Parts: sequence; C-alpha cells; structure tokens
Amino acid sequence: MEAVQDYDALKTELAAAANDHGEPHWFVDRRLAAVDDMATAALPEVNRFDIHRWPLTPTDDPLKFSRSSADLLENVPVADDHIQIVQVGQTTYAANLPDELDDQGVILTDIFSAFREHPRLTQKHFMDKIIKTNEDRLTSFHTAFLNSGVFLYVPKGVVIDDPIEIHLVQDSTQDNHPMISHVLIVAEEDSHFSVMQHLTTKGDHANLASCVVEVLARPNSEVHFSSFDELGPNTTTYLNRRANISRDANVDWAIGLMNDGDTFGDFDSELIGENSKSDAKVITLTGGRQRVGVNTRVTNRGKKSTGNILQRGVIMEKSTLIFNGIGHIIHGAAGANAEQENRVLMMSSKAHGDANPILLIDENDVLAGHAASVGQVDAKQMYYLMSRGITEPQAKRLVIRGFLSAVLQAIPAKDVRQNLTDTIERKLENGAEVE
Amino acid sequence: MATLEVKDLHVEVKDDEQNKTQEILKGVNLTMKTGEIHAIMGPNGTGKSTLSQTIMGQPNYHVTQGDILLNGESILKMPVDERARKGLFLGMQYPAEIQGVTNAEFLRAAMNARRADDDQISVMAFLKELDKNLALLDMSESMTERYLNEGFSGGEKKRNEILQLLMIKPTFALLDEIDSGLDIDALKVVSKGVNSMRGDNFGSLIITHYQRLLNYIVPDVVHVMMGGRIVKTGNADLAKTLEKEGYAGLRDDLGLDVELVDEN
Repeated sequence: MEAVQDYDALKTELAAAANDHGEPHWFVDRRLAAVDDMATAALPEVNRFDIHRWPLTPTDDPLKFSRSSADLLENVPVADDHIQIVQVGQTTYAANLPDELDDQGVILTDIFSAFREHPRLTQKHFMDKIIKTNEDRLTSFHTAFLNSGVFLYVPKGVVIDDPIEIHLVQDSTQDNHPMISHVLIVAEEDSHFSVMQHLTTKGDHANLASCVVEVLARPNSEVHFSSFDELGPNTTTYLNRRANISRDANVDWAIGLMNDGDTFGDFDSELIGENSKSDAKVITLTGGRQRVGVNTRVTNRGKKSTGNILQRGVIMEKSTLIFNGIGHIIHGAAGANAEQENRVLMMSSKAHGDANPILLIDENDVLAGHAASVGQVDAKQMYYLMSRGITEPQAKRLVIRGFLSAVLQAIPAKDVRQNLTDTIERKLENGAEVE
Repeated sequence: MATLEVKDLHVEVKDDEQNKTQEILKGVNLTMKTGEIHAIMGPNGTGKSTLSQTIMGQPNYHVTQGDILLNGESILKMPVDERARKGLFLGMQYPAEIQGVTNAEFLRAAMNARRADDDQISVMAFLKELDKNLALLDMSESMTERYLNEGFSGGEKKRNEILQLLMIKPTFALLDEIDSGLDIDALKVVSKGVNSMRGDNFGSLIITHYQRLLNYIVPDVVHVMMGGRIVKTGNADLAKTLEKEGYAGLRDDLGLDVELVDEN
C-alpha cells in the first residue's frame, strides 16, 4: 500500500546517511542494490495470512542514526560476568566477552563495527548466502534500511558452555524510528554454543521492527538458538530467522513468540549437509485484536538430514493466529526425515486460527509425518486438575502452560524460563479478564 | 462426623459416536460415614466407575433421577472443583498426564486451593509433608520434579494418586481400581498409604474387581453392584464369599435377571 517511490531520490538519501555513518563502501553498495531490488520484489507468500496492508516497508522514514537513552535499559539484566551484548535502539550499551573467548578468536560486536573490522567474515555472509537480499520486498528493505545489529563469530573447535545473551531493546519513544536489526551468527566447524536472544520494546509509539537472524552452521557445529520475543503492542514486527546447516551440524530453535503487536514470522532451517539436523520449536499466545502469522520451514537437501517442527499456539479474544509448517524434501535427500506438529488452542469464539502442515516431498526414500489440530483445552486434563480442587481458571492456565511447555524446556537459563512462564501467565490472565 | 449419601441415583451417559444415551445406574442407594471404609465390588460394565465419576462430577455423566448429598447438602449442581474443596477425592483409574507442570507444583496448587488466600501452605511445611509421604509410599524424591504423570508407569501413576490422597487429606476418597496393574509389592505400598489415612475423619469407597486388595485394606462394609444397582451389602466376609462363588453364583442366588459382560 505504499505510494510509487522515487527510488533514485531514495538511493541518494540512503547513500548520504550511510556515508555519514562511516560505513564501508561494500555495504553502502549493498544498500543501494537493495533499493533496486525493492522496486521489483514482491512480498513473501504466507499461506492463509494477509500482510499486504501492514506497514512493513516504511520508506518515508529516512535512514538515520541516533543515540538512545540509557534509561531504556532499566529491565535489562546487564551483568559483567555474563557473555552478553546489549543494544538499545542503535546504541550498544554492553558487549561482554570473557578474555579467554576473545583470545580464542570469538567475536561479539555490533554489526556495523563488524562490517568495518571484519569485512572478510561479514561481506560474504550478510544477506547474501543464508538469506538473500533480493528474495522479497521485506528482505531487500531490511538490507537497504539496516540500522542496528549484532555479529557473533565462533571459531573452529571453540565450545562455549554459558549461553551468549543478546538483549535488543526497541526504542519506540519517538515516531519514525523503526528497529531494523540484524543478528549474524557464524559457527565454524566443530564449534558448540547456545544463544539466548531477548527482544523488548520501550515506549509506545507505533514503529516497525524488522529483525533478521542468520545462522551459518559449518560442519559438525552445534548451535542452540532461543529467542524470547516481547515486542510492544504498537510495534508491527517482521521476523526472519534462518540457518544454513552443513554436514553433521545441528541447529535448534526455541522461539517464545510473545509479542503484543501484529507479527509475521518466517523461520527456516536449510539442511544442506549430509546428516545435518534441525529442531524448530515455536510457541505463541495471541490476544486482543492481534494478528500473528508464522511460517516455519525445514528444507531437507542433505542425505540423511533430519528436521523437526513443533508449533503450538493459544488464541484468545479476537486475535488471529496462523501456523504454517512447511516441510520440503528435495530430490536426492535420500534417507531424510521430516516430522512436524502444529497445534492451536482456541480460547474464544471470536478468535480465528489455523494450523496448516504443508509437505512438499520430491524424494522417495524418506520418512515424513505431520500432525495438526485446532481445538479446545483438553477436557480430561481439566477434569483431573479440578478434581483436586483447583479452580477452573487456574486449571486452564496450568493446562495451557503444559501445552506450551516444549519451548520452555529448551531455554538454557532458569531465570529466562521463569520470565517466559510469567509472561505466559500474565497474558492468560489478561485474556481471561477481557472475555 | 461427615456423611456421603447416594439416593436412588439414576445416571445416563451419552455415547457421542453413536449419538445415543444409555442408562448405567438404575437406582443406587448408599450411605457412608467418616471412619468407615466401604468397598464396591462387581463384574465389569456394571456401573462401579460410573458411580465414582458421577459423585466427583465428571461432566459426561448425567443424573436423571435421585441425589447425592454431602453432609445433607446436595452436590449435584456443584462443579467438580467445588466438590473437591468440600472434601471429595477421586483416585482415578486413568490419571491425565500434564506436561510442563511439575508434580510438586501441582500438589501445592491442590493443597492451597482448599486453603484461604492468607493461609497458603509454606514451602517448608509443604516439603516436610511431602518427604514424609514419599517415604511412606517408597517413592523417590525425583518423582516430584517430574511432570505430572508424564511418562509414569502404570504403577507410578497409582502411587502418585495415593500420594495426592495423603497430601490433600480429603474427607471422602473414592478409589477407582487403584489395584489394577499393580504387582504384589506395589499393592502393599498403596494399601499402606490408604490405611495410614484411616481414622475418624476419613471415609473411603474402594472400587475393585478382586478381593485381593481387600486383604490389605480390610473394609467395614462391602457392596456388590450388578446391572446398575447395589444388589447385596455385607461385611468383609462377603468379599471372600464372592471370591469363591463368583458373581454369576451370587446373581443366581439372588435370582437377578442381569447379563454379565464377561459371561460366555
């Protein structure tokens, strides 16, 4: 729904802002090429979910860089002894990496520093290998207007036991201040680590969040990625998270999608190498008039690759939730295994939702299965809990928490698990009050 | 002293698949008091579980006639949770599994549900009680951090039902085939748990197929149910007679026109 653009003027404006920002030429060129892509690219396809009228590519807001106040950090657990990077708006407030990891060559920094200081590692990977800038209008917009982000590099053979925390606070204390944030993660051969991301919003102005995560998992690496997404009610969110997974590598996703605003999520695992593995778990809880659409895709390309999808959602009040689970097995991926389960609970007669398994199988020698359901809270579980004296509302919350527990169990830190549990409880209580 | 009275209870259940209703209980009368253990025996398909589920308030069972009174008050219109808070407990044959909710958390929620908001049980008091009962039932502490019944074996589930009984301390416990699927050692443990509850403030209605359980939990009163009615009531010896003569023998003695499901 955007007016016809003067793309040349846009490019001039972007180039000026990017140069002022001190960006390397290669990246400024990428931005300009992305504008050209935008002119022709279409929006991505989302089965049974319409994002055409969403303000996902606001080109009226010029690219600008500003400092966000440290006051907006109040809820972020900044701690020197945690491996963490903390950004508020476009400002990096902490980047804590233990010396021994630094000595081993681990990099944890903001993305623009990485473009300048580590061009060899970023230029060939950023939006050009895992996700391509010209895939659709949202990816090209993302590259063109990028204004914040993180780069994480874990060299060959490095094993990190403690989770690496990425805290990103959207600064919505002003208008025309989109969060266009990119997390690029490169896991070299034989590296093992987990990443815990947390997205929150400060301020109540209506803004876009375009948050992309790219993971390159080299052979025999292991990456556990969890994200707790809590963007605000006035934020329209585009999430794109994708991993390229090489031979014998393993990438797990545990996504607690708890945004309060309209959200389109596109989560994708490309099982490229032989014996590569991915396990994608997504839970969400929608309320109010919120609209949430999620495509979770696993593409099996490598022989004997294994991909699982588990999506569970609870739909309250007048909200809409669409879960598409897409399992694609490419010809030649012999011995591949793809399982998916998509379930939603409808908590209100005015809610709208669906769970759609989509299987595209071009190879004979595979194992593939799916389960999908749209239903109510399990009556047998409710009866059991209530037969012990637990009230109906509390029993409902317990049953729903159980229904959503798959992601809770996959989050490595106990306090984050507790926070996510608390958020689920809060949302359930809010939803129950309105109904 | 508390009383639980079942008066001329008629219950039908609707079969959703065939969309027809069937009367299962056809006029059950039963009165029990705290301090007493009653056993209900009877062949398969005779309505024993229906009786316990109806007393608890399972929504699939519809009372068409008669009443259930707890201390003189009808409970028919009360939802399940309210009946539980009034003192009823049903040890289930097939307990539900609930992921994501630990046994300990569930037990605390159940105990607190019947306490006032300003009188919730302290963590220390809860753990002390829990440890005591785990020891009594020969259960490992790790059971409490596992998710409620999830992945429990049949025997573990039964023990877990009795653990709940001991923690919640209801006035009346309906125990539906708690002996099924238990080996002799587990049966002794479960019986020990139930016996530890015996006293002036506790009554229990034990549903079983077999007399075996009643060697360990000796009942004060034994009822025999057939064809949706209680057809004979006696003392513990009645169970032993049944064990010898079988249900068909009793039916023929009483001259009843009842078809037994398992009869050839």
